[in-house]
Amino acid sequence: MGYSMKPILIIGAGHAGLSLAREIRALDKAMPITIVSQDPIQAYYKPNLSKALSMNKSADQLIMKQLEALKNDLDAELLENTSVLKINHEEKSILCQAKSTDKNEQETFELPYENLILATGASPIEMPIKGASGNVVSVNTLQDYTQFRKMIKDKKQILIIGAGFVGCEFASDLSSSDYQVSVVDRAAWPLEQVIPEQMGTEIKHAISKNGVKWHFQSTVDEIVKNNQGELKAHLSNGVIILPDVIISAIGLSPNIKLAKVIGLLAGRGIVVDEYSRTSRHAIYALGDCVEYDGQPLPFIAPATLAAKALAKTLTGNKTKLVLPPQPVGVKITDYPTLICPPRIKEGSWQVNGVDQDLEAAFFNNKKELCGFALSGQRISLKGEYLSRY
Amino acid sequence: MSNSKIWQCLTCEFVYSEAAGIPEEGIPPGTAWQDVPEDWLCPDCAMGKDDFDMQEV
Repeated sequence: MGYSMKPILIIGAGHAGLSLAREIRALDKAMPITIVSQDPIQAYYKPNLSKALSMNKSADQLIMKQLEALKNDLDAELLENTSVLKINHEEKSILCQAKSTDKNEQETFELPYENLILATGASPIEMPIKGASGNVVSVNTLQDYTQFRKMIKDKKQILIIGAGFVGCEFASDLSSSDYQVSVVDRAAWPLEQVIPEQMGTEIKHAISKNGVKWHFQSTVDEIVKNNQGELKAHLSNGVIILPDVIISAIGLSPNIKLAKVIGLLAGRGIVVDEYSRTSRHAIYALGDCVEYDGQPLPFIAPATLAAKALAKTLTGNKTKLVLPPQPVGVKITDYPTLICPPRIKEGSWQVNGVDQDLEAAFFNNKKELCGFALSGQRISLKGEYLSRY
Repeated sequence: MSNSKIWQCLTCEFVYSEAAGIPEEGIPPGTAWQDVPEDWLCPDCAMGKDDFDMQEV
């Protein structure tokens, strides 16, 4: 089987991009693959960013594979620290620029492709709070995390804005490493969108054991930095917090800029069909930059499954992506929790169990199971719940 | 069980212990790695069995 010289070109070297390259290589030893990433290319497991302190790992220790090892394993061309300026979909090429302080190396260059894959990920939602700019950090990449660990070194007070998956895990991780943590969220309990109040209350108590202070149904009105560089956060509930570092964990927004410029269909994320195809020929998308049925699914497993199916399709075995209900573990010290987020909003929770050992099932109006959450010893019911779908 | 081995996912570091199995996934304690179904996926990251490595214990 012969190949044209033009490669499969993947934009993005996060879990989605690297997994796709790996799956393609497992199926086809010869197909040329190029990956372009605006960040350094290193393999790491992103969910570990909010767990590393408890794992006793530094930012560097989270790296599982460096560039050279990846080049070797994937037998691919890897261009790190390289921005993609434009997609020329008619000529099937992209315009790139290496990030460099050396002017001579800043020239743009074109890369042709046979098939283009957008694995551009998602970026933290910008915080619409007065004084937030420059005073609030988001931890969305290993580079962010490296900076973050430097910032919190020898510091004590951390304010987390957002009590979703990432906010709760950071609260647990930081507080079990002796940081004094406050969490603000406009919701009434942690993970409000994906678990019922009873379980949220247990999570709140579990994380509170290490001294976390919660401020629910509240927002940050304003952040002020004085001449000494000290931060002051004014909360809507009247409380004033003096944090050393403020983390934003209010969620991610798919990176769809490149896609929009060439008119790819996109809502919150890039719209793809069951073969991960976008609305233009020879352009595919997967991972945190896409939406499925109007919803981004910014979790690891959907990206893995999309990578597996797309690798088959790109190597000649057209394969539909099937996304079964996929429970996600939330890493909270002393309180194991597993959440299979409801994919619809209309419905109601039914909770069984006592104290920490809870099972919560989310039913739609037709009494069909549409989501569940298990905690403590009830986690062992996972298989049973999945079989009820 | 003697000679029980531990396998670890290369992507997310999820650990499969042959001695413990994963009862909630329908894999009873004492299930050897080779007897874990070929289409089984890592419960954390959905990688397949090929993406696991045996760890020294």
